[in-house]
Amino acid sequence: MPDPKEIDLRAAINAISDVVQNRPRPLREFDQIYMKTGDMVLQSEIVARWANGKRLAFIGDGDAIGCCVAYLHKRGILDYGPSEIAVFDFDERMCSTVTRFADSESLTTLRSHLYNVLERFPGPMDFECFYTNPPWGASNNGESVKVFIQRGIEATGGNGEGMVVIADDPELEWPKRVLAKVQSYAIESGFYIQRMMPSLHSYHLDDNPDLRSCNLVFRSVPGNPPITISSPITDSARLSNFYGRDNPPRVRFVREKKRLNYGKAHEDEYSLELLEKK
Amino acid sequence: MPEIIKPGQGLLYMKVGTHAKEPLEEIIARKTREIEQNGVGYWGYGGGTCHPQTMVQPFAKDYEKHGGVIYLCMQEMESTHFAEPIRADEWSTDGIEWSDFPEVIEVRGSRYALVIQNLRQTEMELVLDNTKVALGNSMGARGNKYIRGRVDKACLEVMGSEVQNPEKVVRIGLVADIVAPYAVHVRNRQN
Repeated sequence: MPDPKEIDLRAAINAISDVVQNRPRPLREFDQIYMKTGDMVLQSEIVARWANGKRLAFIGDGDAIGCCVAYLHKRGILDYGPSEIAVFDFDERMCSTVTRFADSESLTTLRSHLYNVLERFPGPMDFECFYTNPPWGASNNGESVKVFIQRGIEATGGNGEGMVVIADDPELEWPKRVLAKVQSYAIESGFYIQRMMPSLHSYHLDDNPDLRSCNLVFRSVPGNPPITISSPITDSARLSNFYGRDNPPRVRFVREKKRLNYGKAHEDEYSLELLEKK
Repeated sequence: MPEIIKPGQGLLYMKVGTHAKEPLEEIIARKTREIEQNGVGYWGYGGGTCHPQTMVQPFAKDYEKHGGVIYLCMQEMESTHFAEPIRADEWSTDGIEWSDFPEVIEVRGSRYALVIQNLRQTEMELVLDNTKVALGNSMGARGNKYIRGRVDKACLEVMGSEVQNPEKVVRIGLVADIVAPYAVHVRNRQN
C-alpha cells in the first residue's frame, strides 16, 4: 500500500463534485443514504490507496465511491488506485450513471453490472478485494450487512480483502451489536479483522445527522479453500427485516426511466413563461 | 402521568402548526370532517424521520400484535410552512400499488400521511427524557436528545424509569389513534 501523499484538495473536491452532479437521487426506501461530499473525498483516497493495483468489486455503490476512485486516479489527482473496478448494483440508475460517467471521462478501468444481492453472484469470482456500504442492519441485527459481505467474499473466491462501511456510534447500542455480529460472521467465513477506522463518515441522514460510520477492513486467512459456487439467498429468516423491521425485499431491480437529457433538470419540474413580445 | 403516556406505550410525536399555508385550526376542522365522513382521516406530513414503510408501519404492527395501539401526540408550535397546498390524488402503503383517495380526503403539500381516527384536543405533558426512539437508525436514543434542530417528529416508546430533572417537557394539545394501514405514501396522479 502506498504512503498517503499530499493531494490537491481543490482539484479532489471538484472531481468528486463532478461525480455527485451525475448521481441519481437517493431512494430512502432502499436505504440509499448518501455520504457527505467531504467524507467522500477522504474515503475515495483511502479506498484508492488500500486497493492500489488490485481488481476491486463494489457490492452496491449508491455513494458512487467507485466512480470517485477511478476518476481521481485517471485525472492524476491520486497517483494510485485499483487496476479494475466493477460496480454491482440493483439500481439501474446507479449502473447507468457508472457506465455514462466511465464513457464520458474515458475511465477504461470502471464498469457496472445490474445485480440483485439476493441472487447468485454472477462472477467473475477472482477479484482481489471488495467494498460494500450496505443497509446497516439496525432492525435485523446486522443480517443485511452479512448478505452483502457474503457476496463480497464470493467475489474474491474466498481469498482477498474486504472493506465494509457500517454504523459506528458511541451513544447507540445497536451499532455495537451489529459490529460484533459482522466481525463474528467474517471470522466464521475465513476472514480476520485487519483494521478498524472508527467514526469516519457522516451522511445526509435527516433523522440522525450525527450518526457516523466506520471502515472495517477484513483479510482472508491464508489457505482458505476457494469458493467457486454462489447460491441465491431465499431464507426468510435472513430477509424478513432486510430494509427495516417487517420490511423484506420485494423489488428485484430499480429500473431507470430512459430519457435524453441526463444530468439536466426534469421537464416535469418546471414550465416556461415567455417574455411578452414588444 | 396521563393514561396514554405509560411505560411501554408507543407514540408518534410530532410538532404541528400551519401546514401548506393552512392554519392548524382549519386543518383540525377539515380532518375531523374527513373522519366523520370517511371513517378515517389522513394526516399529511413529510421529512425522513417517520418513513411509512421503514418506520411507522412496522412500529404500529408491533403494537397491534400485542393488542395495543400507537397514538399520534402533537405539540402545537408556531410555524410558517410554505409548501404549495397541492392535493394528493393517490395513496399507497408500499410505493408500488396505488389507489385513488376518496373525494372527501384532502392531503395537501405532503409526501406521506398517517391514517387516524378519534382526533381530539387534549392537554397533557410529555417528558421526552422518559422516551426513546423505538426503531431505525437512531433506535435507543433518548427523545430529548433526538428531537432537536430539524428533527420534529419521531416514533417513540415511553420508558419505565422516570428521569429526575428532565430537560425537555413538551405540551401535547392534540391526540389521535393511528389505525391500519397506519402510514401511506401520497402523490399526484401519474400520467
